[in-house]
Amino acid sequence: MALHINRPAAETTERIEKAIAEAIPGCEVEARGMGGHFEIRVVAAQFSGKNTLAKHRMVLGAIAHLMEGDAAPVHAVDKIEAVAP
Amino acid sequence: MTEAVSEVHQRIQKIVEGAPVVLFMKGNRDQPQCGFSAQVVQVLDRVLPQYVTVDVLADADIRSGIKEYSDWPTIPQLYVRGEFQGGCDIVREMYGNGELHQALGLEKPGAGEPSISVSDEALEMLREAQQQYGGEPLHLGIDARFRASLGFGPASGEEVAVVTSGFTILLDPDSAARADGLEIGVGSSPSGGRGLTLNNPNQPKVAQMSVAELDQLRRSGVAHHLVDVRTDEERAKAKIDGAVPFSEFEAGLAELDRDAKIVLHCHHGGRSQRAAEQLAAQGFTDVHNLAGGIDAWSREIDASVPKY
Repeated sequence: MALHINRPAAETTERIEKAIAEAIPGCEVEARGMGGHFEIRVVAAQFSGKNTLAKHRMVLGAIAHLMEGDAAPVHAVDKIEAVAP
Repeated sequence: MTEAVSEVHQRIQKIVEGAPVVLFMKGNRDQPQCGFSAQVVQVLDRVLPQYVTVDVLADADIRSGIKEYSDWPTIPQLYVRGEFQGGCDIVREMYGNGELHQALGLEKPGAGEPSISVSDEALEMLREAQQQYGGEPLHLGIDARFRASLGFGPASGEEVAVVTSGFTILLDPDSAARADGLEIGVGSSPSGGRGLTLNNPNQPKVAQMSVAELDQLRRSGVAHHLVDVRTDEERAKAKIDGAVPFSEFEAGLAELDRDAKIVLHCHHGGRSQRAAEQLAAQGFTDVHNLAGGIDAWSREIDASVPKY
């Protein structure tokens, strides 16, 4: 019987990266982490001229569906680095 | 939106629009109850002498309401002029990249290197302490209220480094801007031991006022605020006519002219000196401490005020 209590982190980081790439087209995204805690780095032209809060909201908004509910694959984003190229 | 929710939102709106800077946090400025709240307090203390904090642990409606109001899932949350800025990570990032200074209307200090002198005895004491902390560098902080803090820990990379007699002191840029001319020495501590003393020439000065000068001021009719920083219990024992309790005075502080003449008193002049220093650090320019306090007032000016 396969155990899927702890979803492999690699799968979750891929889902994070895919979700962000779809929400912020053309961006460069890298997610790292395990145990539900992740660090995300995004480089996107869309960040240009935006303040820190707006940039964080764009990133968090893209993965909100991964953070919903008690069994969410993403419990916490420990660090967001959102920069314009 | 239900009636109850909109009521909470109205309360929150009133709070965030009621002061220029409002931090929703766990605990308060002096006793944060969570590490993230403590980090934001530390950052704000570096740049602001005064701001308002709201303890969400003391109000369940605000605690859940603020998350909806800001559309942000975590506490702490910082508001500047009614506008949500972010939580712990964002505030720290904003401090580093200059956005926080900009939002607060402050000049971001340059990375100028302050001149700091350390006496030989103090240097020896610092080197010894450093060894106990595994050789980590010394951090010196001087917050916006000119309160100094010393600690050992890894460098963050954002600090200004000052090297004195081969010993390195790290300061965040805001502390560095307040530290030029600082003298670190050794003196007797109140408990009788030897301890480090810091003499900072940049600390706003508080003028001393004698009871005779206060008597003259009161007779002159020149507008001034006489503020009593003592406890209610002490006030029940004795008070100077017309003196306003500090809590009452503080409530109107935001609207008070920075050039207003303010005289603070306590029992003997110690507590009021500290309160006066904090007011001076907030930009009040005409702050006086009543030397000798109500005790001297009773002895020299008005014997009808009981001594206690």
